[in-house]
Amino acid sequence: MIFVRYFILLSLFVSLNILSAQTGEEIFKRDCASCHMITDAKLIGPGLKGVTEKYEREWLVKWITNSSEFIASGDERAIAIWEEYNKIAMPAFYYSDDEFEALFSYLENPPVEEVVADADVDGVVVAEDGMDASTQLMLAALALLIISWVLISVKNSLKESLNEETVSVQQSILSFFKKPINKLFSVLFVAIIGIKLFYDVTMGIAVTTNYQPKQPIAFSHKLHAGMQGVDCNYCHSSARTSKHSGIPSANVCMNCHNAVAEGPSGTEEIQKIYDAVGWDPDKRQYIEGYRQKPIEWIRIHNLPDHAYFNHSQHVSVAGLECQDCHGPIQEMEEVYQYSELTMGWCIDCHRESAVMMADNEYYDEMHKKLKVKYAGEKITVDKIGGLECGKCHY
Amino acid sequence: MLVTLCYSCKDNTSPGYEYMPDMYRTPPIETYAEHTIEGYDGIPVEGTIARGKLSSFKYDGTTEGYLIAGEESTYPDSIYKVDLGGKVKSIPFKNNQKTLEEGEKLYGIFCAHCHGINGEGDGSVTHPAYSAVPAYNDSEKIRPRANIPMSELKEGHIYHAITYGLNAMGPHASLLNEEERWKVVLYIQEKLQNYGK
Repeated sequence: MIFVRYFILLSLFVSLNILSAQTGEEIFKRDCASCHMITDAKLIGPGLKGVTEKYEREWLVKWITNSSEFIASGDERAIAIWEEYNKIAMPAFYYSDDEFEALFSYLENPPVEEVVADADVDGVVVAEDGMDASTQLMLAALALLIISWVLISVKNSLKESLNEETVSVQQSILSFFKKPINKLFSVLFVAIIGIKLFYDVTMGIAVTTNYQPKQPIAFSHKLHAGMQGVDCNYCHSSARTSKHSGIPSANVCMNCHNAVAEGPSGTEEIQKIYDAVGWDPDKRQYIEGYRQKPIEWIRIHNLPDHAYFNHSQHVSVAGLECQDCHGPIQEMEEVYQYSELTMGWCIDCHRESAVMMADNEYYDEMHKKLKVKYAGEKITVDKIGGLECGKCHY
Repeated sequence: MLVTLCYSCKDNTSPGYEYMPDMYRTPPIETYAEHTIEGYDGIPVEGTIARGKLSSFKYDGTTEGYLIAGEESTYPDSIYKVDLGGKVKSIPFKNNQKTLEEGEKLYGIFCAHCHGINGEGDGSVTHPAYSAVPAYNDSEKIRPRANIPMSELKEGHIYHAITYGLNAMGPHASLLNEEERWKVVLYIQEKLQNYGK
């Protein structure tokens, strides 16, 4: 209650309007937009779409000029809106007639919402890419087979018309394999393909490159990290300081989504966050006594338990970018595993990457010695023990 | 044909086979791993304070707390205070170029996408709900809650807003620890409130 009283007191202060006449849009952005949306979505206060039709102009002028006095005067509609929005009174704004005129004309004719021309928001993008290389190869092989069949048939019909002896397709294949040299090459050919297949399949076991599971929420990294430019470390804040690059808990989502209830694909996906934390988007409040439940994201990158990997060591000490290992995350609609995450992949990088020596006080003494030992050479990670077994397996 | 057939069957929504699954998923519970312990939901008992996380910032999240914090609260004296066998080594918090640089880096990660890289409220987030982020160097428009313009906000105000959130901005206490929050506040006060002046 003290909180409310304070707000009433506060709104009694004259908010000086020292700026000269401005356009309605400028006034709206400066004074209104931190609490009101121009659409019908709620923020701190109600959305202002159609507000000039819902209330007459005199009423609005009274409300804007001094809402708490207006509420105290006993106006029913004023009290109703005050109670609907948690009894938080709006600060007073003193405008000239011209400014009111500009503001109301802006509210009457709000800017037309730009439709985000992004058809691929829902992950339709995969279909547009066409066939993958393997499908194309298969089709090409099929086409070659059909062509050779047709050619043999044409040859046979030509021979028939010349009354020559014809050889059917089956016969020509059989006669091909009767020659010992052809037999040998065929067996070799099949064996090589078999071995190659066996090698690829066994080497591919537990290598989950391109793994792209369907996540419980259709979260788009392209939208958040790419278009909106939110830093990776904002949500994955523990990558700087801990072994794990944490999956953000839902309260981190709520830092923005308390005000953003609708995304390019509608409200359905964002509602899943609200279901997890118990947020009521209409009242803009957490539901009391709600039993929160975790969002069960599906893990993509998984190292075997016998391999140790630490994010902070790579992010904070080595100064790597997230994209060095995770690929163009900011362009991914749905995240997939970009790198192999095999031991060979780790070691290749440790052999090639130079150690970040500048401003790295932790290894000051050690670095001085290394510079003497490897004078004139590039000091890579393997030179400081980055290939020792016990560094990662213990 | 055979080769292409085998490769084209690869399904990206499944992780595929593993050699020895028990080497990937061990019996002890790992971070983010599923578990089947009945009744355990991972939420600490109410009132639990993690070691070293006892806050020195005593103000609550109300408007009153905000105003009192603005008047009273100020920077910690030192950071990295270490007791080396009777000899206390400490680095002063303020007037320390390194603190400021770290503050700048943290600001870039946690604030710049809304508040803008120079604190002018022109961040990369374009959603209408975040279209009216105030500029730190605005010395004219009186803020409704603090009753002073942005450029005159005290360190306690800014620290309170980071910790508990304000209007459409959510609380950032779980993302930045206390020391990091003070570094961000220092950067805002030293560089952004007087940006371009």
